[in-house]
Amino acid sequence: MSRVAMLIDESRCMGCRGCQVACKQWNDLPGEETTQRGSYENPPDLSPTTWTRVRFIEVVQGDSLQWLFLTHGCFHCGQPACVHVCPTGALKRDLTEGIITVEPDLCNGCGYCSQFCPFGIPRLDTDVLSGEGKAYKCNFCQDRVANGLLPACVKTCPSGAFDFGDREAMLAKGRARVEKLNQQGFPNANLYGEHELGGLGRLYVLKERPSLYGLPENPEYPVLANLWQDVLQPLGTLAFGAAALGVLGFYFLARRSVNMEDVE
Amino acid sequence: MIGNRMNTTEELGEAGVIRIRWIPKYTAMERLFHWGHTVTFLALAATGMILFFPFLRPLAQGEGGQLVRLMHRAAAIPYGALPLIYVILEPRRAVLSLRSVFKVSRDDFEWIKGAMPYYLFGRHEAMAPQDRFNTGEKLNAVVIILGSVAFAITGLVMWFGKGIVPIGLYQAMVVMHDVSMVVTVSIFIVHFYLAVVHPMMWAGLVSMRFGVTSAAYAQEHHASWYYGPERAKEIYEARKAALAAEEEYPTD
Repeated sequence: MSRVAMLIDESRCMGCRGCQVACKQWNDLPGEETTQRGSYENPPDLSPTTWTRVRFIEVVQGDSLQWLFLTHGCFHCGQPACVHVCPTGALKRDLTEGIITVEPDLCNGCGYCSQFCPFGIPRLDTDVLSGEGKAYKCNFCQDRVANGLLPACVKTCPSGAFDFGDREAMLAKGRARVEKLNQQGFPNANLYGEHELGGLGRLYVLKERPSLYGLPENPEYPVLANLWQDVLQPLGTLAFGAAALGVLGFYFLARRSVNMEDVE
Repeated sequence: MIGNRMNTTEELGEAGVIRIRWIPKYTAMERLFHWGHTVTFLALAATGMILFFPFLRPLAQGEGGQLVRLMHRAAAIPYGALPLIYVILEPRRAVLSLRSVFKVSRDDFEWIKGAMPYYLFGRHEAMAPQDRFNTGEKLNAVVIILGSVAFAITGLVMWFGKGIVPIGLYQAMVVMHDVSMVVTVSIFIVHFYLAVVHPMMWAGLVSMRFGVTSAAYAQEHHASWYYGPERAKEIYEARKAALAAEEEYPTD
């Protein structure tokens, strides 16, 4: 199988949150107790037990209120910073399908993934004091996909907003849909995720600019992740190696040349 | 020999036994602090490197990795608290030590010039006079002190700031924490070599263990501390002059 992608046509989303429920059901995640915050959006944020969630964005245009929906979750980047900084190898990118998963048995809860993700997706249930816990996020229902099934959210969507499959095919569908939206009076319609961060695995068809949906217009790979992993780590190894070897060499040099009888 | 060697207080006693006059160098508190900081530093370095080096990955994974992270935090508390406790217990001495550690003079540069031939080949005919800490010890102390401050700031943000501070700041803290680690562990390797491994350097370890140093060693290696800066400078100049003269007219 080639790289897969999820295409979410937000112009077709009606905010039913079926995807949220299906995700919880398939992944055996408990519901959350929440409070009324004055919005239909619920729960308030992604969490260790909420891996996908519909954002309800309220846009006031003149006298009318418009809802924009965005099904939020892991973007399965082509160039994932979380995988790069993970010290345990718990975060993996499947090389054929491009799905990024967290292996809970390997995760030690350090949370670097959550702090280096350009979208801030991974959520931790770690205890602040002891740091014990693990990271959680959407895994595109890899267990289902590997068995020829659609991810739970895609399968359940009643409005046809979700599509899933070969990434090239999804891109083609997305572009065609954007073109149609443009003709139907949405000049700002765009396809989000085609090139960002090595190409995203979660593609959005948006009616408006990404920033209106709370998405970064130009998500950037964290430079510090590269500086840390690709420069500092080899440099550290080199520094310790050089210090240890140098000291060893100096030891034999000193041993040979120092007249030990002079030593008081 | 030249210089002050004749002034040494090591003398042959009646029974032909070498008598050494020991003078105090480090207080019990100083030594307890030094070794406490050493032990916690090593514990932190060992547990921290497990998350830093990819080849130690198996130790970082799962439950074991959580334990490693917990141990790192447990060791971080005494590592951060020990200097503060020491400063509270011996404030005047702490200030004195800090002041001498951060004081840079021409003698430091001259000492560094003489350090290579000295540590590699045992030549120490004329080393610039040193205070209670020599330039090398001062360099080690400065790096460890600044590194520890960086560890404390970045470590506290990493511990309690997740999800509170902006992620750009958090990322910078993680990277700086590791930069401090690379720098301090490198200097530690050198410090360990000079204090424990180097064939000539046993006096420092004895001082840090028992708190004393021989008067003869102090005269030779910490002249400014033993004689005071003026007298030490005189001796140093005299010795340099004597060396130059000997080079011109060798006696043997």
